[in-house]
Amino acid sequence: MNSILMQTVTSLNGAAWDWIFCGAFLLLLIFIGLYARAIPQGKGLWWGLSALLGVLVIAGMAVGEGILRIVLLDTAAFVAVALVWNGNSAKAKAAAKTYLILMIVAIGFLAAGQYLAGENGTAPAFPLDKIAAGLLIIGFSLKLALIPFYFWLPNLAEHSKPMTTVLVVSVVDIAAFSELAFMRSSAPWLFTDYAVLWLIVALLSMFGGALGALAQKNIKRMLAFSTIDDMGYLVLGTLAGSVYGLNGAMLAALSHAFCKFLLFGAVGVVENKLGHDLTLDDHGIAAQFHVSAVVFIAGALGMIGVPPLFGFIGRWRLYLSGLEYGGVALVLTMAAATALALLYYVRVIHRVWLGKPSQEVAKVNEPALASFVLIALTVILLVVGLFPGWLTSLIG
Amino acid sequence: MNLIVVLPLGLLGVGILFQLILGKVLSVKWKGWFAFLFGILALASTLTMLPAIIHGQKLDQTLFIWDQNVAVQYHVDGLSLIFALMATGIGSAILLYCINYMAHEPEGTTRFYVLLLTFIAGLVNLVFSANLILVYLSWEIIGLCSYFLVGFWYKEEKAAAGAKKVLVMTHIPGYGLLAGILLIYHSTGTFVWTDPSVSAAFTTGIFVLMLVAAMAKSVMFPLHTWIPEAMNAPTPVSALLHSACYVKAGVYLIARMYSFAHWPHAWNTLVITLGCLTILVGALFALAQTDMKRLLAYSTISQLGYIITGLGLGTNLGIAAGLFYCLSHGLFKGTLFLCAGAVQHSTGTRDMRKLGGLASRMPWTARIWLIAAAAIVGVPLTNGFVAKWLLLDAALNANQMIVVIVAWLVSVITAVYMLKATVSVFYGDMPEWLQKAKVHDAEPSMLAGMGILGSLCLVFGLAPQLLFKALVAPAADALGFHSELTLTWLGLQTSSAGIQVTLGAAIVLVAALLGWLVFSLVRSKKTTEPVSGVFTGGDPLPAQSTMNATDFTVLAENNLAIAYKITDPDRVYVPLWNGIKGLAAGIDKAIRPVSDNYPLWATIALAVVVFIAVWLL
Repeated sequence: MNSILMQTVTSLNGAAWDWIFCGAFLLLLIFIGLYARAIPQGKGLWWGLSALLGVLVIAGMAVGEGILRIVLLDTAAFVAVALVWNGNSAKAKAAAKTYLILMIVAIGFLAAGQYLAGENGTAPAFPLDKIAAGLLIIGFSLKLALIPFYFWLPNLAEHSKPMTTVLVVSVVDIAAFSELAFMRSSAPWLFTDYAVLWLIVALLSMFGGALGALAQKNIKRMLAFSTIDDMGYLVLGTLAGSVYGLNGAMLAALSHAFCKFLLFGAVGVVENKLGHDLTLDDHGIAAQFHVSAVVFIAGALGMIGVPPLFGFIGRWRLYLSGLEYGGVALVLTMAAATALALLYYVRVIHRVWLGKPSQEVAKVNEPALASFVLIALTVILLVVGLFPGWLTSLIG
Repeated sequence: MNLIVVLPLGLLGVGILFQLILGKVLSVKWKGWFAFLFGILALASTLTMLPAIIHGQKLDQTLFIWDQNVAVQYHVDGLSLIFALMATGIGSAILLYCINYMAHEPEGTTRFYVLLLTFIAGLVNLVFSANLILVYLSWEIIGLCSYFLVGFWYKEEKAAAGAKKVLVMTHIPGYGLLAGILLIYHSTGTFVWTDPSVSAAFTTGIFVLMLVAAMAKSVMFPLHTWIPEAMNAPTPVSALLHSACYVKAGVYLIARMYSFAHWPHAWNTLVITLGCLTILVGALFALAQTDMKRLLAYSTISQLGYIITGLGLGTNLGIAAGLFYCLSHGLFKGTLFLCAGAVQHSTGTRDMRKLGGLASRMPWTARIWLIAAAAIVGVPLTNGFVAKWLLLDAALNANQMIVVIVAWLVSVITAVYMLKATVSVFYGDMPEWLQKAKVHDAEPSMLAGMGILGSLCLVFGLAPQLLFKALVAPAADALGFHSELTLTWLGLQTSSAGIQVTLGAAIVLVAALLGWLVFSLVRSKKTTEPVSGVFTGGDPLPAQSTMNATDFTVLAENNLAIAYKITDPDRVYVPLWNGIKGLAAGIDKAIRPVSDNYPLWATIALAVVVFIAVWLL
């Protein structure tokens, strides 16, 4: 038996991960900025808020674990609310309102929960442990849009500009997830004592997210449910708590952040040209949007962890951690959820992108800068997926 | 250091980069020539390993750390080499064929050649890898290549739908392979299958998981239904998929599992059962086809059944038969597809109901087709005969009479459907529309591609011992099976039960010749009625009542309707998909009004539920 497999992590290589996330977020923000230059996402206020959000998140990751990080990341969440509000449409404002209310609840619950949990890494005395656990589980579930606390995300994704959504799901959400992952080391009791609850939340998110995605006609809304689905895997890896589980979850979180940029980015290019939301009623648009089609397919395959894209590097670790934690049954359950994810992505790829166009159409000139950014990131994900050693050597 | 192991992959990698960099400036034909060049160089570099493998050596090479403690590690033995040679050899012939076939393609040719070379490299990497996680990586790379290649004409509904089915039906079972690999790693702490600890960790559960993955790739019943839908790809893709690179990956995995552990009898029984079912189902469905490529696709299913059954026998002779069959199938199936592609290229259709009499316009294609058709049927002088002969001999030796009966019965069915295809396309009267059409024989490079493969069917039919000594025996040795079989010219064996079979066959042949002689002497006179030039399998028909592809199809459909209904797994998959979709829609319909209108109240209510759950834990 390989002893390292059975070893539960007592402390994640936090410093290394902080810097990896800093680098990843910086790269992502640059890409978002370049994309927004090509396809406007908002006026001056949008740029200002996006820059502020970026600074807060990167600073939050750079300062290391502690109260300052929590304050910075929570502030970033409120800036994200302002960004959604900046979308101007009534539906965007309604989505921002829901997001704001639920973030206030989430942050309140998390703050109270962390206060009650204390900093010594052990569970507080009864009944404070129960209260703290309930607050933290609900708080994180709300912040990460896990089922059953996902209500803010689908409408936000549907009614916001694509890069606004990317800032929320790929930056704010992933930074929040890193908090949860670090908590696996700093408050292990929260996971070991309430493992069943976490497992239920993770599995509900995986299957519920996938089924939710299958039910959607609007593509951005479908992508929101795929985020929920993916978060389930990340929580499961965190719950497993082994080296492979935690590192797998962190790597998968990085992949998630980049793949979501590709997916929303591709949809954004098409919607910008077509002038309406992309839905299952659109057909064969790959004939017009070559680059976006390639990028969307790459993003979808990356999301479900198909090699040789980067998503696989996190995914196989997550499956291994599932095996360690729940045996063959759990790993096959995870595979079944991934099969559902494949089905909803394949449905969109083949109904919306590939196949015969609804009418004879000419190829569209996709904005060069946006295309460059999307293709560059696709190539990066492919290269890192083929040669991940340099990255994984950093995490030890 | 055995850096030679990396050479084929390196050359294919350079070929891929070459296409990517120069794709914009090269003409379509030059892209084809360069792809062929790198393919043939990869073949040559693979062949350089042959002497060492024949002498029983195994070539190991570790390159660099791929991911944390996972190294890029290669282990080349006889089994690896067979599959690598199929990929690069048959792949090169197909690339040669592509030069003219793809010449008039208006777009996407760089993508096409990049994917084709990646496809070949993927299979080589798969069979060379000693590291199981990299085996899975390669497994999925060839899966993606097939997905993108089948969907090459992605603006066509049928091509896109075929690609979708390929991805869904092969990727999902592929998780069985990944789960099996992770289970091995969980138990042993290593991904390297050559590690001795793997054997003890290789349980029945892992075997079944990996078998499921292999079944989907190797189109075994009931995971075979993707392959007929994949026929809307360019023909070279179909040829590569069927003959060398895709379905053979599953065969490799099943064979390789003999290296992982000793098989209990139950494993052999399971594989033989699945193999026999696949032989039957593939052949039955092939009977009912009127599309040339779909017929060949179903015949692939049936032929893969033969191969897997041979491997499933688990005896020295069975393994040898399975591997010889695998190589032979690569050659004759590749040839048949390329011929079908030439017909479609020239006539614009592959619907056998619309074809006929093409042997006069496409004589070389017809001749090459005839050789390959004879091989798949198992006519002596071809490699297919030797393969079937070996398999029947192995089954007799293993006392597996069910296998003998199924193999024999389906050989007859194979002859019927191949005869139907041959006659419908190349003989009989040429339809009026074809007479007016500008139908000509295939271009020289296309003829060369299929001619090389077709002639090898004859070479290895006449002198199978060449293939046997150089490739099959070392491969069987690598799996721990030491065949003492002595194969001579034409595949006649002088050891094992083969000698009895040979004698039996000789008696049958003599009896048939005597029967024909007696018939010739005693028959009164030849019929004077005008008859059709079409062989019907019995009494001749009047000229106005020729037997064509439709008649065969209708005959099969009418008489085998129940069998088609029972053995069509799509009847299960479709309701499954509809059920999932219905469930998703139902849940969304129930939850959405609450989540849209009362998110805060719903959150509060759910929070209470969570608090109660926390309290109870």
